[in-house]
Order: sequence, then structure tokens, then C-alpha cells
Amino acid sequence: MDACIEQRIDSSLKKGFIVALAFLLTSSTLTAAGESVGKLLGDESDGSRATPLHLIPLFAEDENGEKGEQIEPDVGFPMPFSTRFTCGDCHSYKIISEGWHFNYIDPNVIPGRPGEPWIYFDSKLGIQISLSYRPWLGTFRPDDIGLSVFQFTKIFGRHMPGGGPGEVESDDIDDVGRQFVSGKLEINCLACHNAHYGQDMGGDGGYAVQVTRENFRWAATASCEFADVTGSAAKMLETYDPFMPDPDERDAPRVTYRKEAFNENDEVLFQIIREVPDERCYYCHSDLYYCRAEETEKWKSDEDVHLAAGLKCVDCHRNGIDHNIIRGYEQEAGLSQNPLAATSSCEGCHLAKGEGEPQAGRLGAPVPTHPGIPPIHFDKLSCTACHSGPWPVSETVLTKTSRAHRLGTPNVNKAEEALPHIVSPVFAKQSGIGVAYMGRLLVLVMEGGKISPYKVMWPAYWGTLENDRVIPIEVGIVEKVVGDVFADLEFPATGDWPEITKVNIAEALKALGDKAVYVAGGVMYKLDDSGELAEKVGHLAAAPYMWPIAHNVRPAAQSLGVRRCEDCHSTDAPFFFGEVAVDSPVAFERPSKKKMVEFQDINPFYAWVFAFSFVFRPWLKVIALACSAVLAGVLLLYALKALGCVARFLAEQE
Amino acid sequence: MFRNLSILIFVVTVGGVFLNWIAAPCKGCRWNPIKKVVHLFTLLLFEQKLSLVGAIKKLIYLVALFCFVVLVVTGFYPLLVKGEHISGYLMMIHATFAPIFILCLTFLAVAWASSHRFNKSDCPWLRNILRRVTSLKIPVSESIEPSSQLFEKTGFWLIVFLALPLILSIIVSMFSIFGTAGQEFLLAAHRWNALVFAVVAIIHTYLVIRVQLKR
Repeated sequence: MDACIEQRIDSSLKKGFIVALAFLLTSSTLTAAGESVGKLLGDESDGSRATPLHLIPLFAEDENGEKGEQIEPDVGFPMPFSTRFTCGDCHSYKIISEGWHFNYIDPNVIPGRPGEPWIYFDSKLGIQISLSYRPWLGTFRPDDIGLSVFQFTKIFGRHMPGGGPGEVESDDIDDVGRQFVSGKLEINCLACHNAHYGQDMGGDGGYAVQVTRENFRWAATASCEFADVTGSAAKMLETYDPFMPDPDERDAPRVTYRKEAFNENDEVLFQIIREVPDERCYYCHSDLYYCRAEETEKWKSDEDVHLAAGLKCVDCHRNGIDHNIIRGYEQEAGLSQNPLAATSSCEGCHLAKGEGEPQAGRLGAPVPTHPGIPPIHFDKLSCTACHSGPWPVSETVLTKTSRAHRLGTPNVNKAEEALPHIVSPVFAKQSGIGVAYMGRLLVLVMEGGKISPYKVMWPAYWGTLENDRVIPIEVGIVEKVVGDVFADLEFPATGDWPEITKVNIAEALKALGDKAVYVAGGVMYKLDDSGELAEKVGHLAAAPYMWPIAHNVRPAAQSLGVRRCEDCHSTDAPFFFGEVAVDSPVAFERPSKKKMVEFQDINPFYAWVFAFSFVFRPWLKVIALACSAVLAGVLLLYALKALGCVARFLAEQE
Repeated sequence: MFRNLSILIFVVTVGGVFLNWIAAPCKGCRWNPIKKVVHLFTLLLFEQKLSLVGAIKKLIYLVALFCFVVLVVTGFYPLLVKGEHISGYLMMIHATFAPIFILCLTFLAVAWASSHRFNKSDCPWLRNILRRVTSLKIPVSESIEPSSQLFEKTGFWLIVFLALPLILSIIVSMFSIFGTAGQEFLLAAHRWNALVFAVVAIIHTYLVIRVQLKR
């Protein structure tokens, strides 16, 4: 009986296995067939390296979010074209929208190495906080400070290529009406791929300005060379219907196409190129280091050595139709689906050995010899530690980035002290790399923990302390409460911090409630039981947020250590003993500084002793070489004597 | 591989020395080893010479011996025990004692070279072979036993010879001459040289002790 049951179970298991196998095979076959059938014209190259012609019709989105009519420039009130339905005719928009530049809203995407956050700042509230939808340690989600996807897009969309939160429907009831008026901020393919000089991202009527005006639906159109957009969705009532525009409404967003750009079939010629020009990358990825005043002028400083050598950004930062662009860090190959991730890092091009075909020297990359550099350096330092970013000086310098300081957009505050305050270069030990993200659980690994150059931002924000964890207070609440307390402060015209005092902080904390804390300059302030302001140094919530500096890569002749070991190994070398400015809006904390070595997980005394030992290194060399000469002399002398003995013996004299 | 081989070689060397000590004990120290050890560590290792040079030689030998112990411990401990390359404070101690050891070794090489020359009595069996093969007028040795100092002398010359690549492999790497591949080769050369040097030095020290104790 039992044997019979066992046989049945065994049989049913086998059947189940066969059914499952059949299902898997069928489904995979169907999937493969589906993929094959589903590929659009531009999803797969035919192998030609020539640039495809993009003479195409423009399509708008209709009120149902579907593909609308072809755009005719002669129509009185034409709609903006939709990239989803214009570019999406030949390129799978869905696949592209899962690329690195657009997928940060997806909680299932592996966050990888921490990158540059979006920085929300308000000098009048003493706030400077790093935000990201990616779960990078040290950043907060925008909704943590009360920013809806709509608000986030309005503030930061100026330097986003569209997609992501720009296409997500807001949960905030207040935003629903506004989103209907402004539309979605679709992926702006032109932001990267339009090689025409008329592509306007940061001009007076360009992409950034349209986003600020809540003209999300019109932003991509406004950025191209053959259309102008006027009006502002932000000025329109929530009842305004952009699909049934009122020609008399002066502030309504309106597109004017240049008719000469259209042919008789109402098609336009886009100057689209597969390989994105560097200028397009620069719009969002420019850095400004206040090393020396004159270097703020770009014509007086050099570009990355790779660009100077004739490469383009996208020669290394490559992607296919999935737009899963290579970020280029060392551990990326283990996390990325991009098959070229392993061979597109610094080592991938310059040092690749591999077992199959030789890979080193790709794109003409010189294979470095690193003469005189002990190999331990390659275990302890990333390539960028010696080769990237500004040459370290005695103190970190204020740094601006496109996205943090909205560089390249109208009316930028050009003052050096303008918020947010980012300092660099900080040579710090690499923190964990996010390898997986499941809900709210971020899985980190420490990959080598190499020292790399970083940009650093010290967070300043108001929060509540719960179970030793600081939760930021929504900006709207802070504005109402702290805004009143700080109303009498003087705010510098440069956009720098005001002089916030202990009294100001204490008053603000009292107004915010019992558990309120203020985090600034690496310190957490809170009121003790007696109502006095207490400080706590070293709380995790006050730790600086750091993201790596990868560019500009300096030429090999300008790398650290190229002159002598003392570039880093001396008791005053900036690499270990440079001062890191601890930025704080709190007046009595300024100026506060830390030593670089405190960020490197190295005992400062050890670092100093080790650096000091290099004073004696020349002596060691002299002694060792002199002694070697004497030892060689002794050996030679007695070898000759032995030879003399042999000679005498062979001469039969002995 | 280096780690496992090093452990094996050190175990075999120390075990061999220990077995030799047990199997062929030196006369006079069999029944009173403690006395001999005390004798050793109270600078009475060598025949006392009251001359200044003799005292200096003795002192420098002991300093060299101490430095050797420090260098072996700091150099091999991280690799053999922790499985890591030398770094941190151990590295600094290693680099501090290395030049002292080099200086002492050089002085001893100069001072002892003459007394460590091979002579007729070192290899009687070789003389007999040469006499038979060459038919030269080489006096017949009465004993075919090698001199007790043969291995000690061989050890001394090996130490002097091995010291050169040992020193140069690490010093040359401090100059901007060799690239990464060269650096790795030099580091490996230093490591393997150090292993052979350490084994030879241990055996030589043991033989010196034996010879001195016999006296």
C-alpha cells in the first residue's frame, strides 16, 4: 500500500515536473517570440554605424493619455509633441524608461554606488538636505520632507531628462488637478540625443524654465530648435483644460512651431545622434571647484584628459536601447546587466587582462606602468584617488555642481558662497555599495573599502528624534514654525547661511515640540530636560553625505605621487592631513574643520608616524645601497681569492 | 602557496634543528642544558676576547641576531598567521630594524670573512678525491671527516650572498624604475629570498652555538 502511494507521489511529482518544464519552455518560447515580435524599428541596430535619418512626423498625447493626432504647425493652437508617441513609434519607450536615468523611482532597482543626490536647501530655514528616490545611505526620500513627486519634479526637473517621478501620478490630492494641467514630464529624448545647436535646455524659454513654470507637457517641445513655448501652467487654474485651450487665455501654455521646419507631409528633420555629444552631458554633469579663483572660468581650466584625447563621455558610459548606462565604478560589473560594465571601468580599459581576447588598450587607453608605486596602493586606493578631481590642497574647497546649483539655467547665483555648500576633494574610505533593495531593506556590501576622492555635503535639517533615529520634519511645517523664529535674521545677498545662534535654535526647537532636534555641521542639537540647548556630536543622522568624484581625470603626469612619495606621505600632505571644512549654518560652530584622515578609517597617530617615517627613507636607501656595495665587495674579493687558489692549484704550484 | 610552503619549511627547519640537538648532542651540554642556555644569553656565546674589536664584534653579532628575530617576526607573522601582507605598525618596525640589521651584517661580513675562508682541513674527502683524480702531490688526509666549521662557514657565505638580493630587491623597488609587474616581481623576490635567508640564518646560528659550546 505504502509503496503504491509512494509510486503515485513519485509519478505525480514527475508529471508535475514535466508539466512545469513544459510550461516553462512554452512560456519562454512565447516570451522570446513576443520579444522578437515586439521589437520596434529603432530598438535593434542593423549593424550600420551611420547615423539614421530622423525625418519624422510629430504626435501629441490626447486627453486619454493615448497617441493623438499628427501635429500640423498651421493649426491655431497646436499641442506640444509627445516623445512617448513621436520617438516611441520606433523606440520602445517602456524599455527606455527603465534605464538608469529614469528608473530611480522604482524601488526594485539596485541602487549601486552612492551617487550625487538632489539637494533641497533653504537658507531661511537653515536646511540643506540630500534627497534621492534611490535608497543611498545618508539620503532621504523626497516624501520624507513632504515633497510630492509633483513638487519634486517642479523643483528638480530642470536637470532631469524627464521620466521617473515626472510621469508618476501624485498621491497628493492637491497635486492631481495641477498634474492634469501641467501634464507628464515625459522622457526628453532630445535632452541627450539632439545634436542641433538650437537644443535649449537652460535658456530663457528652454527646458528648465518650462519645468519651473509647470509646463511639463511642453518642456521637451520647448527645448527643441523649431518650437517656442510661452505661458505657464502654474498660472492656470486647476480647471483649465489644456486639450481644449482658450485662445484668449494669455497665460496658457502655447506652442509656436517654426513652419519652415516642417515639410509638405508635416514631418520635421531632427538632428538625432546615437552617441550623445558631451555638451548634452555637461548640462547636468558640470562641476565647478573653487580651487583658484581664475579656474572658475572654464577657458582657463582643462577638461577631462579623456575628452582632451578625443573620447566622448559615451565612449565609456555606454548603453543600449535599455538605457542601462554604465556608471563606470569598479564593482559595477557584479550588479549591472550591461555586458560592457566590466570592460568600461578604468581598469577595464587600462588594465584588462582577461583570459580570452586581449582587452587592454581599448579606445587607445595607455596601459599604465606605475613605476615605483608599491602594489599595495592598488588594494588601498581607487584609480580616482590619484587621478581624478582637483589636486588636493591644504583645505577642501567649495564646489558647485549643475544639479545642486542649477548651473546653466537663467539667473544662477554666481557667488562662491551660494548654497548648497559642497566641499571637495575629501579623500575618504569607500562606504558600502548597495547591491539589492527589497522594500525598505537595503543590502550593502563593502567592496574593498578603498580610499577615493569625494564631494561632501554636511546635512542641516529639522527633525524629530524617535528611538535614536532622526526623522526629518516636513518642509511645510518647518516653514511655518521656524520661518517665524528666523524672520529677524539677516540673510546674505550671496546666498550664504545666515548667522544662526544658539538662542535661535533653542527657540525653534521649543516651537517644533518636545522631540524636535536640529542637525547641522555634524552635530545634533536638542533641548535637554532643563530646556537648555544640548549638543551631541557623532550621531549617524549628522554624518556627511559623500559621493565619489570620478571626473575630471587628470593626465598621468599630474597624478598624485608622480613627483615623489611625499605627495601623500608627509606630515602635512593634504591627502591625509588636509582640512575638511565642516559646513554649518550655526554661527558659533564656524569655522569647524576635520582632518582628512578622520574619513579614512585610519588612526591619525599612525598616519602621522607613517608619514614621518618617510623623512628617513632616503637614509635607508643610502645605507642599504652602501652596505650592498660593501657586501658585494667582500664577496668579490674572496671569490677572487678562491679563484686564485684554483689557478695556483691548476698551475700545480700547490 | 608561499604561505603554506613557508610554514612547512620553518617547521622542517626548526624540527630538524631540534632533532639534531637531540640525536647528536654536543659534549658537555647533554646533562646541563640550562647552564648552557644561560651561558649563551649572558654574552658568553663566544670565546671571550678582551680586545675592543672582539667585544664590538660580539655586541654587533647580538644586535644583528636581535634585529633578525624582529625582522622575521614582523615580516612573516602577518603572512603566516593572518594571511595578510605586512602593513601598519609591523611594517614600520620592519623598516626601522632593517637598516640596523644591514649595517650589522655588513660589519660582520667584513670582520668575519677572513676567518671564514675555506681551508685545507675543511674538506679532507675533497682533497682525497682530487689527489686520486689529478694524481697531483696532495698530502693524504688522516681523517676523512669534514671539519666541524665547514657548515658554519658555508652558512656564513650563503648569508652574505643571499643578503644582496634580499636588500636590493626591496631597495630597488623604492626607486621609480620598475612598474607594477616589476614591483610584484621584486616583492616576490624579497619574500622568497627572506625565506631562504631566514632558514640559512637559523641553521647558521644553531651551528655557531654548537661550535662554541663544543669549545
